[in-house]
Amino acid sequence: MKRTGNLIPALTILAAILLTVMPLPEGLAVWRPHWVALVLIYWHLETGRLRSLGTAFAIGIVLDLTTGTLLGQHALGLVIINFLIGRFRNRLRFFPPWQQALAVGALLINERVVQLWIIGLLERGWPDWSWWLPPVTGMLLWPWLFLLLDALRSQRRLAR
Amino acid sequence: MKSLGTGGTVSDTIGGTARLMFYSLLAISMMALDYRGQYVERFRTVASHLVEPIFWAIELPFSSAGRIATSWRDRAETGQRIAELELAIVKARARLGRLTDLESENAQLRILLETARRTDQDVIAAEVASVDLDPFAHRILVRRGRGDGIRPGMPVIDSRGVLGQVEQVLLGMSQVILISDPDHALPVQILPSGERTIAYGSGSLDRLRLTDLPMNAQVDRGNVVVTSGIGGRFPPGLPVARIGSIQRQPGQAFATAIAAPLSAMDRNRLVLILESAPRVDENAPVQDSGAESGPDSPAGQAAEPAEDEDP
Repeated sequence: MKRTGNLIPALTILAAILLTVMPLPEGLAVWRPHWVALVLIYWHLETGRLRSLGTAFAIGIVLDLTTGTLLGQHALGLVIINFLIGRFRNRLRFFPPWQQALAVGALLINERVVQLWIIGLLERGWPDWSWWLPPVTGMLLWPWLFLLLDALRSQRRLAR
Repeated sequence: MKSLGTGGTVSDTIGGTARLMFYSLLAISMMALDYRGQYVERFRTVASHLVEPIFWAIELPFSSAGRIATSWRDRAETGQRIAELELAIVKARARLGRLTDLESENAQLRILLETARRTDQDVIAAEVASVDLDPFAHRILVRRGRGDGIRPGMPVIDSRGVLGQVEQVLLGMSQVILISDPDHALPVQILPSGERTIAYGSGSLDRLRLTDLPMNAQVDRGNVVVTSGIGGRFPPGLPVARIGSIQRQPGQAFATAIAAPLSAMDRNRLVLILESAPRVDENAPVQDSGAESGPDSPAGQAAEPAEDEDP
């Protein structure tokens, strides 16, 4: 029961990782949202699955290995996201969609700040303004992603 | 879902904060170790193999789509393309003929000068995988791996110049660190003056930093930077970059220059991996001349500056 319950979240996280490294045309790549964070936020917020910080950490390490960043760079961001959701979950859950999207946007921006801090420490060159586009895309996509994953989840529930 | 609606008690909050601290510290220390290239290197090598299927899952649809597109291409178009390529080959052969002549002449001159002969390099052509890595990671993924004889540290070039070197070898793919990565240091020589220095990555794809130039060095805008061969990993004479600007700040002991890489960096489709057996690192008399790159990082090791080692 528990195993099947975690299969769908795991698969969606995997899909999110694939989307993260999927090649996009030059102009579109800067708009690429933080797919993994979005999916993680959904599962934690709506079902309480993947809520432990350890899970977020593990997912982050896989993402680091895949994207070639320092080990722990994405992990730190995701751990902080999961912690913040854990704190404010009871409030966030009952927000109307647009307000929830704003909150998700804030979480994503916060994650971006953490990444910026790490990149700044590494002296890897300062990103330009397009650095702040992914949270915007993430925020705009959130309601649709929410509906999509909701549909996926309810279908699964009906099937059983 | 037994835990729905929990998360309000005081002990929970404290526990949560403690866990946050724990995982944050873990992440930060891992990053620090990874940055210095210590301990976690082994973990990365092993764990990278586990994510290789992810790369293939992205790569295969794209490459097969490309293959289908090629096979569906119009006959006439293909014929035209073949004619074009044949013409290009003829031209290249003609140039190569002249070069062979020069090569033999060069060899004779080198015998006269009693210097080491330049050995022929075997190259492995590698397709760049259609996987987008993090733009700040300065890495690319190529579709050649351990099975193709790729080893860490092999120099990677494209048709225009040095691109980087192999950092991590997976089964069917390998990760290449670009020379623009801030961790990368490459021993170079500036032509025509022959000034030796190190080209450090700057963190942006279109710039390299050349530090520690003598103030009176004869270096100008537009000069070509080539590999010097010191350190033994890169063969000498490969084009690297072109000097963009040089700064001689009064009061500083050394001048620094900014150079633009000649290779297309992350916009290549095909790269060449040089199959040079790097001179065995252990016996190379490598002297640390105070370069700031981490001594244990693969890049630092690869291009350990050894300026005192003049031939």
